[in-house]
Amino acid sequence: MDDSNERKFQKELNGGLVGLVLLAVLAESDEDLYGYEIAKRLANANDGTSIFKEGTIYPVLRALSAGDLLTSRIVPSYSGPPRRYYRITEQGRGVLAAWKLIWRGTRDFVDRFTETEPSRIGHSS
Amino acid sequence: MNRSAPRSIDQYLRQLREELAGADAALIQDALYDAEEYLRAEVAAHPDKSESDVLELIASTYGAPDEVASAYRDTEVKVKAAMATPRKVPKSKLGAFFGVFLDPRAYTSLFFMLLCLATGIIYFVFAIVGLSLSAGFAVLIIGVPFFLMFMAVGRVVSLAEGRLIEAMTGVRMPRRPVYQGTALGFWARIGEMLRDRRTWTTIAYFVLMLPIGIVYFVTAVVGLCVSLAFIALPITAVCAQAGWFGMSGAEIFSQAQPEWIFDSGLAS
Repeated sequence: MDDSNERKFQKELNGGLVGLVLLAVLAESDEDLYGYEIAKRLANANDGTSIFKEGTIYPVLRALSAGDLLTSRIVPSYSGPPRRYYRITEQGRGVLAAWKLIWRGTRDFVDRFTETEPSRIGHSS
Repeated sequence: MNRSAPRSIDQYLRQLREELAGADAALIQDALYDAEEYLRAEVAAHPDKSESDVLELIASTYGAPDEVASAYRDTEVKVKAAMATPRKVPKSKLGAFFGVFLDPRAYTSLFFMLLCLATGIIYFVFAIVGLSLSAGFAVLIIGVPFFLMFMAVGRVVSLAEGRLIEAMTGVRMPRRPVYQGTALGFWARIGEMLRDRRTWTTIAYFVLMLPIGIVYFVTAVVGLCVSLAFIALPITAVCAQAGWFGMSGAEIFSQAQPEWIFDSGLAS
């Protein structure tokens, strides 16, 4: 029960964050990346286990691409079907900058309540 | 989901397809492509493990088929709501009626209808020539290879037609040919192509495109001519009445015009 509650909460949080993280990863990368590569970068940054299921980043990549925040090209691959490589657009960088500001604001706001000692909020009687 | 966890890439893709049943066909294709790209890359990245060992861990990394399916469904809904260019929905009935003039899709669709005659002729000729030459060559040694090549080219052309339709009308069409995997040999792939219902419906579509193209073209041209003629009629009438150009049109128009143009004092 607790476990499924936690997972549900994590999933709800991830909703908008996946897009932000993907834009940030692609903005930092010098080369074009394909889905699997991005998934592994995210997992490696977090000791091998990604916070979100790697399958969920693909539809978001497509969505960002449909919104002209990313461009993509298809490259044949030996290991499977052709891979779709993504690159961030100028519009994407603009959106990323705006999203970063929103994220920092949100994080600071949430931190203000969750980081402080319980006695400092609410009634300390 | 209490079904057994997939132990091979094919099983995984089959379960994912089942989970997505009823969703947009292009969305299913996208999801299967993405999953296959990931799964094959994951298997290739672990040459020391067997496919089933890799698949065992997939649910915790890539996600189980039902999780992935719901991610695609959710994103699709959000994308439609947020990313699609918001169309201005006119509030009044009059606005809704005349709003079509501001809709760029109306013009690209009109252009598509005109284009259909040209593409229809090309497709028709392609299909008929391909089929008749295949029949003619059937007794020769090049008969079978020619027929297979004709079918294969037909599949590529149909994909291009899909892209054209999507660009012109905004209806989602498959983006890539079906990936048949490297596991299948050359002959197995040919067999797969001939067993695929779509290969045959594609040829039928090519043949049908000629009559359909003619209907579209005629509809578009007649519609355009009639509406432009009606738009031009009052202007021409006024100009002719004012004597700006003479083609003894005054008499024609004075007979052809409804009474109200003359009553309104425009014509003296």
